[in-house]
Amino acid sequence: MKKEFIFALESIQKNIRSSAELRTSFWMNIFGMALNNIAFILIWVFLTQTVGSIGGWTVYDVIGLQGFSSFVFGFSMSFNGGLHRTSLIVSSGTFDQFLTSPKNILVRLATSYLHVSAIGDMLFGAICIGIYLYMINAGFTQIILTLIILIFSILVFTGVTICIQAISFYFTDPDSVTRSIFELFFTPALFHGGAFQGPVRFIFIFIIPSLLIGALPVESITHLGYLKALLLVILSIAWFIFSIWLFNKSIKKYESSNFMTFGQ
Amino acid sequence: MMIRDRMAYPGRLIVDTFGIVARCGVLLFLYQYIFKIKGGQINGINFTTASWSMFLYFSFMTLRLRDISSFIMQDIKSGTIEILLAKPINYLLYRIWWQIGAGVYPFLVVSFFGSILLAFLVGVPSTMLSLFFLLSFSLTFIFSIIISVLIYSLIGLLAFWIEDIKPLFWIVDKTVMVLGGSYLPVALFPPLMYQIALWSPFGAAQFITHTVYTTWRFDYLKMFGIQILWIVILTGIVSIVFRRAHKKVSVNGG
Repeated sequence: MKKEFIFALESIQKNIRSSAELRTSFWMNIFGMALNNIAFILIWVFLTQTVGSIGGWTVYDVIGLQGFSSFVFGFSMSFNGGLHRTSLIVSSGTFDQFLTSPKNILVRLATSYLHVSAIGDMLFGAICIGIYLYMINAGFTQIILTLIILIFSILVFTGVTICIQAISFYFTDPDSVTRSIFELFFTPALFHGGAFQGPVRFIFIFIIPSLLIGALPVESITHLGYLKALLLVILSIAWFIFSIWLFNKSIKKYESSNFMTFGQ
Repeated sequence: MMIRDRMAYPGRLIVDTFGIVARCGVLLFLYQYIFKIKGGQINGINFTTASWSMFLYFSFMTLRLRDISSFIMQDIKSGTIEILLAKPINYLLYRIWWQIGAGVYPFLVVSFFGSILLAFLVGVPSTMLSLFFLLSFSLTFIFSIIISVLIYSLIGLLAFWIEDIKPLFWIVDKTVMVLGGSYLPVALFPPLMYQIALWSPFGAAQFITHTVYTTWRFDYLKMFGIQILWIVILTGIVSIVFRRAHKKVSVNGG
């Protein structure tokens, strides 16, 4: 376990160093993405200005929601960027290089790629979470709760991503399918959390866990809702365990196209 | 040729369909709730009108006109632009028609089935049931295509000077998304934002979303005027930038 962790860190370091070689492009990607993320905040702030509070959500909650969604997405794309390329790797037949690696396949795959712009997402997310905590006058308990919840939001996001990408092993042209399902999962995570009520809320917590990324964390922190936080913890662990099982099972479906390449 | 290509490989269509379901479908549920708790009317529009306004935006996006930026950037980065510029064709027109051709099939399929489904689920606003709507919508739709293509071509051409245009593309694309009335119908904008959406090229590229409002009948001439103005301005800018870019390219025979 310790060896895998050290390997993952070294792999991530290598990814960052190689991306930073093109310095201007590297920084433009980071700051461009951070600016780009303001769009959703503007949309929901305009909506709140026009119609008032929805489901008890204020403008600060909207900022917190975008903060959590951006940070979790950015973290996953930065440090587990390879996971999001599984469909491309499988369809091109280059998955062989991961199978033949002496390291843990999932760790090796996850840390094989870094999306530079995702660092901008993380930066933007961290700033938004900071603003959100400041605006709601967060106390010590809320700050600690934020840090704990962030870990489990990342865990559920990673788990669902692994599940989606595991589907790649069952299709001949998996890229369109995985991208579509990911879209279905992640897009609602960016929507105004207060508007998810009744059966729609149930669906997006228990079936498609989009609300576990941003909406549920924000509600837990704003109102110190420990039950919601506990639900998030339980579901994220369940998703993560299920995803590892599904991935290991799905790998057996992989058919090598005998396209051997050396690792990056 | 591009339409036949898209029919043979339905991957893009699957992505587009799921994209619409994920965005538009979930938005419908959310806005249904919002309109319900606010008494059925917000800023003079009801849920049906808001739904169609957003649907028109997402359906228009399946034309994927914005992809022209990345294709131009790829041509420049890979050096293919040298070959294309040496041919007896206008490079920009070639790229524009190629892009439109690539998007027509998913656009027609998604729009046709999406319209039927939406009409079945939320009904059709009375503003859409007239010959005036059909004619004015068609005209603003064409203008919207031209403005979109010009904006995104301009971003693509900047790849002659900037190493990576992606960050610039994201910002412009998101500005079109916000001001075009994607996730928030333009009728629900605060007054200042509405004015910015009305007078900026980013909002003008999506005037099709205004066509379902009752105000469209009174404002359509002004909006046509704004669109034509932006077409003239953007055409001028794109021509100048393209001419300057052309001078930067050195085509070597071999």
